[in-house]
Amino acid sequence: MRIYTSPKHIKTLPEIILEDLKTIKNHSMDLLLTIIKSDYLQRTRSYAFLITLCVSLAIAYTFVPEPNANYSTIRIADHVGYYNSAWFGYVTAILTSIFLSLIGFYLINNSIKNDIHTKIGHIVASTPISNFIYLLSKVLSNFLVLFTIAAMVFIMSILLFILYNDGYPFELNQFVKPYVLIVLPALFVIAVIAIVFEVFFGKYSVLQNIGFFFLFSGLLVMTPKTEMQFSMDIFGSSIVMHELEQTVRKISNTPENTDLSIGYVLGNVKQTHSFEFKGMEFPTIFLLSRFIWIIIGILVIYLISHFFHRFRLKERISLRKHSVEIRKEAVSKELLLNKLPTPEINYSIFPLVKTEFLLLFRKGKKWLWIVNVLGMLLLAVLPIEKAHQLVLPILWFLQVSRLSDLTTKEFLNNVHYFAFSAYKPMSRLLFSQLLAAISLLFLLAVPLVVRYAIRVDFYAIFSIYLGSVFIVLLACALGILSKGKKLFEVFFFMITYAVINGIPFVDYFGGNSHDSMYLVYLFILIFVLGCISVYMRRHQLSE
Amino acid sequence: MLLDIQNVSKRYNKNNYGVKDFSMTIEKGILGLLGPNGAGKSTLLKMIATVSTPSNGIISLNKNNIVKDANYMRKQLGFLPQDFGVYPNLNAYEFLNYMAALKGIGGNKLSTRIAQLLEGLNLLSVAKKRIGSYSGGMKQRVGIAQALLNHPKIVIFDEPTVGLDPEERVRFRNLISDLANECIVILSSHIVSDIDTIADTVAIMKNGTLISYGNQEDSIQKVKGKVFETTIEKEVLSDFKNQHVVVSTTRTGNSLIVRYITDIPVKNSIEKEANLEDAYLYFTKTH
Repeated sequence: MRIYTSPKHIKTLPEIILEDLKTIKNHSMDLLLTIIKSDYLQRTRSYAFLITLCVSLAIAYTFVPEPNANYSTIRIADHVGYYNSAWFGYVTAILTSIFLSLIGFYLINNSIKNDIHTKIGHIVASTPISNFIYLLSKVLSNFLVLFTIAAMVFIMSILLFILYNDGYPFELNQFVKPYVLIVLPALFVIAVIAIVFEVFFGKYSVLQNIGFFFLFSGLLVMTPKTEMQFSMDIFGSSIVMHELEQTVRKISNTPENTDLSIGYVLGNVKQTHSFEFKGMEFPTIFLLSRFIWIIIGILVIYLISHFFHRFRLKERISLRKHSVEIRKEAVSKELLLNKLPTPEINYSIFPLVKTEFLLLFRKGKKWLWIVNVLGMLLLAVLPIEKAHQLVLPILWFLQVSRLSDLTTKEFLNNVHYFAFSAYKPMSRLLFSQLLAAISLLFLLAVPLVVRYAIRVDFYAIFSIYLGSVFIVLLACALGILSKGKKLFEVFFFMITYAVINGIPFVDYFGGNSHDSMYLVYLFILIFVLGCISVYMRRHQLSE
Repeated sequence: MLLDIQNVSKRYNKNNYGVKDFSMTIEKGILGLLGPNGAGKSTLLKMIATVSTPSNGIISLNKNNIVKDANYMRKQLGFLPQDFGVYPNLNAYEFLNYMAALKGIGGNKLSTRIAQLLEGLNLLSVAKKRIGSYSGGMKQRVGIAQALLNHPKIVIFDEPTVGLDPEERVRFRNLISDLANECIVILSSHIVSDIDTIADTVAIMKNGTLISYGNQEDSIQKVKGKVFETTIEKEVLSDFKNQHVVVSTTRTGNSLIVRYITDIPVKNSIEKEANLEDAYLYFTKTH
C-alpha cells in the first residue's frame, strides 16, 4: 500500500500521477510496453478482429460515394464538396470517428474479461504491477487496436481519393490533420470508456452494451454551437460539420439554418451542387481540448484504479463452496455400476430445447427480467406503432448477451467435446438452440402479437415472427463464423441503432409498412443465414 | 466389443502430425494409454470419440467405420475429455439431464440413474447448487458422471484423476475396474500409478506414434535386469543423468540414492525389480 502524503507536503493528484509515470519511466516502462504489446498481439490475432477490420474497410469504402452512386454520406442541404483532398480527409475522418467509436467499443470492451476468462488475471494480481499501470496498459492496447483499424481506413481514404480523383492535387496534410485531431483523441476516449465500463460493470455485459448504446446516442444528438461547446464534443466532428455548414451558407446566401444530413441516404438521386471545401483551421481551444480529453482519460483511469477488483471476484463464492464440500464428504457411498437402472433411448429434442431455453433465461442478472417485463408492458400499452417500431427492437436488443453466444457457448464454456460427441449434434442440438432462442424472442413480443391478433393483422404477426427468426439466425451464423460473440454484438447494435433512427432498409421485424417483396427478401436472407449456419457448423464438427 | 484403429494419422500441416500412422486393436477390458505431454494421447482419444476427424486411416467399432458413421460410436460412448467445462448456470441435475438429452436417452429410470450416480460420486448434497460454485474436483466428478450416464459400451477417460483427492482416486479406480467387466475402457494418463494397478494392457505413445503395446508384464519384461540402484554424490548427478535413464533420486545426507535404467550398471549398483514406471521411462527416453 502506497502512502502519498508526508508531514511536510500533501501531494496533489497530478503530482501523484506524474510520480507514478516517472516510476514507470524509470523502472517499469519495459514492463508496460511488454504488456501492451502482448495484449495487442493477442487481440489482433483473433478472428473477431480480422472480421471487424474487413467489415470496417467495407463500410469505409462507402464513406465517400463513387461519383455515380445513388446515396450520399455527408451532404449539406443539396451541396456536396468537390472530391479534393480536404473533402476526402475530413469526411472520412468524421465518419471514422463516429463509426469506429460505435463499433470499436464492442470490439474492445472485453480486455479485462479476457484476463479473467483465461485466468491470466490471477497471475497479474500476484505481480507487483499497480492497478493504475495495469489499467493504463489496457487502455493503450485498446487504443492501439482501434488505431490499427483507423490506420487502415486512413489508407483506404487515400486510395479512394486516387480512385475517384477529380483532378485535384494530393495534399497529405488534409488527410493527416483531421485524423490526428478528430479520430485519435476520440478513439482514446472510447478506449478509456471501455475500461471504465469493464471496471464498474465487468460482470454485467448487458449493462455495458446497453449503457454504451444510450451514452453514444446521447453524445451524438448533442448539437454544439460555440467554440467551447465544440471542445466538449468527444467525437470532434461537430466543429467540422459546422464549418461545412458555414461554407455552404456563405455560397448559397442562406442565413437560416440549413439542413445537414449525415449518415447514409439511400436512393438519394437528387441533383447536387458542388462546392470547394479547403479544410479548416482549428481554434486553439479546440486543439487544447483534444489533449485535455486525453489527460482527463488518464486521470479517470487513475481514479478508477482504486475501485478495480484486481481479480478478487470469487472469494466469497469459493469460501461458501469449500464449506459445502466439507459437509458432503461425510455421506459418500460406493457407486455400483451394475446396479444402476438402464436408461431408455429417447431422441426427442424437447429436453434439449427446454434446457437451452433455461440457459437463455438464466443468462445475466435476475433484475434484467424486470426490465424485460417493463418492456413487455410498454408493448401492451403504448400506441401500437410506437410499440412496434421503437420498443420491440430495444427489447430484443436487451437480449443481445443471451443471443450472442447462442451457438458458441459450447466453446466459451468448454463443453464442445460433450456436445459434439453426442448423438446427432447437428440436427438435434443446433435446431434446439435455434428453437429456444426464437421462442424467447417471440415470447417477449407476445403483448404486441396479442394486440395484432385482436386487430386480425396476421401480416404484422408474421413479420414479427420472421424478425425473431432473422435475428436468431444472424446470431447463429455470425457466432459460428467468428467463433465469438463480438461480431454479432456489433451487428445487432448497428442494426438496432439504424432501426431506431428510422432507416427502413434495416427494418427486419416489419415495423414500417413494406411492399410484398419485403417478406421475400427477408425469407431469402433467413435462408442464406440458415445455410451458412448449417454449413459452418458441419465444418466445425468435421475438423 | 472390438475397437480397431488402422493406420490413423492426424496431420495439422505438411510436417506436423498430432498422431502418425497409429494402429491398434482393443478388446473388452482396460487399456492404459501412457505418454509424456504432447505425445498425442488426447488427439487420438478425440478421434476415437468422434470429435476430431483423422486425416488418414480407419477407426471401426464392431466393424462399423466410425469415421463415416460417427453416430454409431456416439450412441454407445462415454467420454471424459482432458479439458472440459460445464454450464455454470445449471445445477448438477440439470446439467446431467441436458447431457442425457444430448446423448439421446431418457425415460422414467433416468432420474434414478442420475441420482445414484450423483450419490456414488459424492455430489448428491450439492446437486441442486449451480455448478459455477463447484470446486475443480467436484466438476471433475460431474464430468465422470456424464460419461457414465448412457450405460456406455466404450468409455474414454482422458486424464480423469486431475483434481481428485487421493481417496477419490481410489474410488475412481474401483469404479473403472467395475466398468471393465462389460465394456472397453481407455484410460489416458501421464501418471503411471493411475494406470499400473488397473490396466489390463498398456500402450505407450511418444511424438504421435505407438512405441509399446501389450500387457503390463510384457512391457515390464523388456526392462527386466536393467533397473539398478546406486549411491552417488550430489555434484555428479547432472553427469549421471547424461549417461543413464534416471527413474528417481532420494536424498540421504550429502549423497543421493539413484534408481536408474542401463544395460551396463556402474560399480556398486544393486539390481532392482522392474515396474511399469521403469518400463515407461525406458521406452519414452530411449525410443
